[in-house]
Amino acid sequence: MIPSPASDILAISGLRFAYGDIVAIDGVDLVVPPGRIGLVGANGAGKTTLLKILLGVRPPAAGTISVLGHDLGHGAIEVRSRVGWMPEGECLPPDQTAADFLGYAAELGGLPPRAARQRASDVLGLVGLHEERFRFIGEFSTGMKQRAKLAQAIVHDPELVLLDEPTAGLDPEGREEMLDLVTRLEDFGINAVISSHVLTDIERTCDWVIMLDGGKVLRSGPLSDLSTMDEAELEVIGDLEAVAAAARRLGAEVRVHGVALVISQTGGAAFDTARDAVIAADAAIRRLGPRRTTLEDVFLEAGAVDG
Amino acid sequence: MAEGVVFDLGYRPHEGERLGRSGARRALYKDGLRRVLGLRRKMRRKVFPLVLMAVSILPALFFVALSVVAGEFDQTVDFFDHPQYFDLTGSMALIFIALAAGELLIPDRVHGTLQVYASRPLTTVDYLIGRGAALATVVISFLWFPHLVLFLGRAWVSSEGFGSYVTSEAGVLLTTLAASVVYFAAFAPLAFAVASVSKRAALAAGVFLGVITISGPTSASLVDAGFPSLGLFAFQHHPGYVKDWILDSSTHSWIPERAGYDPILSVVVIVTVAVASWLVVLFRQRRIT
Repeated sequence: MIPSPASDILAISGLRFAYGDIVAIDGVDLVVPPGRIGLVGANGAGKTTLLKILLGVRPPAAGTISVLGHDLGHGAIEVRSRVGWMPEGECLPPDQTAADFLGYAAELGGLPPRAARQRASDVLGLVGLHEERFRFIGEFSTGMKQRAKLAQAIVHDPELVLLDEPTAGLDPEGREEMLDLVTRLEDFGINAVISSHVLTDIERTCDWVIMLDGGKVLRSGPLSDLSTMDEAELEVIGDLEAVAAAARRLGAEVRVHGVALVISQTGGAAFDTARDAVIAADAAIRRLGPRRTTLEDVFLEAGAVDG
Repeated sequence: MAEGVVFDLGYRPHEGERLGRSGARRALYKDGLRRVLGLRRKMRRKVFPLVLMAVSILPALFFVALSVVAGEFDQTVDFFDHPQYFDLTGSMALIFIALAAGELLIPDRVHGTLQVYASRPLTTVDYLIGRGAALATVVISFLWFPHLVLFLGRAWVSSEGFGSYVTSEAGVLLTTLAASVVYFAAFAPLAFAVASVSKRAALAAGVFLGVITISGPTSASLVDAGFPSLGLFAFQHHPGYVKDWILDSSTHSWIPERAGYDPILSVVVIVTVAVASWLVVLFRQRRIT
């Protein structure tokens, strides 16, 4: 049995999966708390495979998985009643109305017919398709289809929803709407694992991030950990090189980032060092602020270390 | 003056009963019925099922009406016999199965809807049983319902009285039901197998109908040419031969019969083809899912 607090939505230990000779998931260990979880990685990193394993569609070659406290090894049927899935590709029948299909999807999730119809209507309203609910899905635009896909994933009121590239194929406006909807899931009491290769989408919507690369976990932790006060970004009026040299003399790590200097020093001393270096080089501060580490930075850094 | 008020109900979680896998199976079955009959679909989806069902049932209704009218003038009209009526309904069932099998399996695969099923508390076997049960319900109903109409019509105009006729002849309802099941078992699994490897419902229907209809004359020629064992490949003739056996009649010279085989061997062929087709469909479906 996987040691995991009851509140953790996912607990994975020693997970391994291969398509023939190609290893897609290689020794993954994860414990993930409730909330909105970002799953990031390049194409082929193993994101979709991991989601399908969590859904119980693909049996792992090795390892144990607990989803919402339920061991997948004891059968996926129980888990699927409590989990929703929004696939990346097409999954909607064009010859059914949105209301009919959503009602059917809710019944497939185990809801009684009357409750299913009510839920279908409610959820279509939540995703902004209430006016379109009696139109055939084949007549929907790409953005409306994406919203209908999200609706079918949550229509049976799951505790966890797995979203595979929810913004794929959307224009900027549609993308904003979809990200807003994903952000609202927490208000509905639905945990979400959001797979994406667009790092800014994850930064905007998630509070925990799992980084996958080549089937391995590069990092798993709160997104807030990526913000640090140990790095200051400084633009100066005066000699940039002189300020950099002064900062180095004060014990900081310094690198040039365009017209700015990034001064790194542990213990929150980066800002004091920046101030002292400017004074020592007889320069003036144009801009000084914390440098927020982006997912991209972490990804590149972790990939470089791994590589 | 009253003013309108907008209530934002927000998200309301489902707090009622959850039916789990049994509810999912029922939903799948109901959806299969709707899909086969074209209900809650565009009008063109309803045309074929309705026409085929009308063609199957109208002759029975017509003869019953004719008999009632003739009875008013102390005349009698001979009905179709039950075995002969299967010549009409069996052909309609063949076309219906060809179209419906593809409609049940192919769109789910082509439009990616199988991914939705995969995320619900259902197994591949649940999915296939749900689809098969829906088709069986409709096909067996429309094969058998005209016989029920004929039976009731005969009972109505019977000289021995309605109750006496029903009591004495009720067995025919069971034998016609059994023959209807045989027709379904002979055609539907093979139609599902063809549909499971095709991307277009029309193409699957064409291939299935082609295989079934060509098997009859081809086998007949080979049997006549001195290869009696090839009479077992007359797929279109097996259900008719078994139907005549069940109803204790002889409506045609069936090819397996001409080849010297007993009806029980036709039953064995039907079961063997059904099991083999089921395995093909199961393999394909598991692979896709």
